Amino acid sequence: MATRALLAVIYASPNRCYISPSRIKIQSLTCSSSSHYYQRQSRKNHRIARSYSSDSDSSVLQPPDVARLAQTARISLTPAEIEECETKIRRVIDWFGQLQQVDVNSVEPAIRAEMDGGNLREDAPETFDNRDSIRASIPSFEDAYLKVPKILNKE
Amino acid sequence: MLSTLQPPRSLSLLPLRRLRNSKTIVSAASSTTSVISPPQSQILTTRRSLLSGETTAAEIAKSYLSRIRLTEPQLKCFLHVSENVLKDAQEIDQRIAKGEELGPLAGVLIGVKDNICTQGMPSTAASRILEHYRPPFDATAVKKIKELGGIVVGKTNMDEFGMGSTTEASAFQVTANPWDLSRVPGGSSGGSAAAVAARQCMVSLGSDTGGSVRQPASFCGVVGLKPTYGRVSRFGLMAYASSLDVIGCFGSTVADAGMLLHAISGYDRFDSTSSKQDVPEFQSQFLSVDHFESKPLNGVKVGIIRETLEDGVDSGVRSATQEAASHLEALGCVLTEVSLPSFSLGLPAYYVIASSESSSNLSRYDGVRYGNQVMAEELNKLYECSRGEGFGGEVKMRILMGTYALSAGYYDAYYKRAQQVRTLIRKDFKAALEQNDILISPAAPSAAYKIGEKKDDPLAMYAGDIMTVNVNLAGLPAMVLPCGLVEGGPSGLPVGLQMIGAAFDEEKLLKVGHIFEQTLKGSSFVPPLLANVP
Repeated sequence: MATRALLAVIYASPNRCYISPSRIKIQSLTCSSSSHYYQRQSRKNHRIARSYSSDSDSSVLQPPDVARLAQTARISLTPAEIEECETKIRRVIDWFGQLQQVDVNSVEPAIRAEMDGGNLREDAPETFDNRDSIRASIPSFEDAYLKVPKILNKE
Repeated sequence: MLSTLQPPRSLSLLPLRRLRNSKTIVSAASSTTSVISPPQSQILTTRRSLLSGETTAAEIAKSYLSRIRLTEPQLKCFLHVSENVLKDAQEIDQRIAKGEELGPLAGVLIGVKDNICTQGMPSTAASRILEHYRPPFDATAVKKIKELGGIVVGKTNMDEFGMGSTTEASAFQVTANPWDLSRVPGGSSGGSAAAVAARQCMVSLGSDTGGSVRQPASFCGVVGLKPTYGRVSRFGLMAYASSLDVIGCFGSTVADAGMLLHAISGYDRFDSTSSKQDVPEFQSQFLSVDHFESKPLNGVKVGIIRETLEDGVDSGVRSATQEAASHLEALGCVLTEVSLPSFSLGLPAYYVIASSESSSNLSRYDGVRYGNQVMAEELNKLYECSRGEGFGGEVKMRILMGTYALSAGYYDAYYKRAQQVRTLIRKDFKAALEQNDILISPAAPSAAYKIGEKKDDPLAMYAGDIMTVNVNLAGLPAMVLPCGLVEGGPSGLPVGLQMIGAAFDEEKLLKVGHIFEQTLKGSSFVPPLLANVP
């Protein structure tokens, strides 16, 4: 999960809203590391997908580890919640399994409904007028900064 | 919108629950007197009475506010009622007094689903994580409504972040169905549908990701219109599943839903998925019934989707749909049965895609820039606790499922595969719509069920989406309008007919729907609750 903006440094000049370069660096690290990981996994994917598609039982893929998923999704769950979730999620994932029965050989994945192309805007920043209202929504705000606790590196 | 576990016909992994057999009552069994004349557009009626001086916007607003006060304790449609309704109405009256030009929605009272941003008014998506959030901007759809003179009455209740079919997943309250207070109004736009049904507002906005406008329209006996993906800007709609979400319209007549849709449609530079297709003048479709020819829909080809009338659909709903099909035939339509072979795959494909996309979209709710924050000593803990405490159970489950389906090693098996199934579904629809002008089906397998009946049984809840999700996957426009009543509640429960059109062909849907509605005999779709409310 990409690291979100931790600090938005709003400079003294009132018409500029500038995201600190350290945030951009963190994001690009995350992106490149995940694509590298994905490449390593792609052969594994093929193996799994092939075995999956020939198996009517949907349990070839690792069942969901709810505690780990919760950590990835940055959601804290009580042990009771984990247990409840686990049962429900497993049933749903099993049910997803029926999609494996479908012959999708040479079918293009559809990202969304068909659309007109070329809806890109100018790569030019615009000022938002109602910045006070944005500031008012920020839970912890001090001077020009959003206040957040420190990050601790995980072992 | 919560979808569920209806297994495909050929692979019954889970037992299908047999829904209660019920007979259709198509005659006006409601306790209100049967209305002989067809339903009138509230938008046009309002405009006429304001321009003629018969009444003022302020008087109209007062009567609606009074009805809200009387019915809200039982219905709980609104999470927030605007403090500015009267002031906005008075401004319209001042403009009338000065002889200024009035927008087409002048004085029209509009409810807005709470996942659509309204500047300065709370917008919570019915979630604790956004409990006191007031957006700094209006959604484009809201901005357009205001520019045309519409008055936002308030923010309506919904299932949290759009994930549900009953409003029971709202963090704040459960909305009751105006036809039977012990039943659900549908969801996730249950508040918007119920508010229009109970005449707490004239029209309302909802959102439809897997049927969240169409199913509550059916349950509440109102018109629900889902536009083509890209027809209406999603800017300001809190994203649930970005490739499926649309903003939709509720009205008590097809004309009202259509006029509201026209008001909010059009390209928006703030939404890169919004379409540059022209928006036709829908109004030309809403002729008065006196001007109809004898077979006003002569030659219109209608395909009835075979897979939607099989097992698992309440017999009352099936009868109502078949009678609606006969009514269309009497109007001159040519009816054939069509088959969509990929139909049953829609539900699991939808669920994979929606969970996956929602897990990404809801990552922005981290307690840092807006919403409720649970302070902690470490940043990740702040995220985890803010989200853990702010999100409801259903939302958490969906996010976790989406996280799973998108994880490295699983992406191809789930998300990509669901996208491929989406292609198959789109192809089937395209083929069917090349042979037919519109397709029809029931909107839901049953009428409204009891509050709490399916809350603990996700399988049963999910089965209800089977009629609607495929339309979102294909990005097509669809409309649900009341076509009959079935047994249940004090005076019957409404059932809706779903009409599906080709991409960007809302005009045809509105034409057929309007003529169908204006010529439908025998049913009054005014809930009995209103019999004693002025």
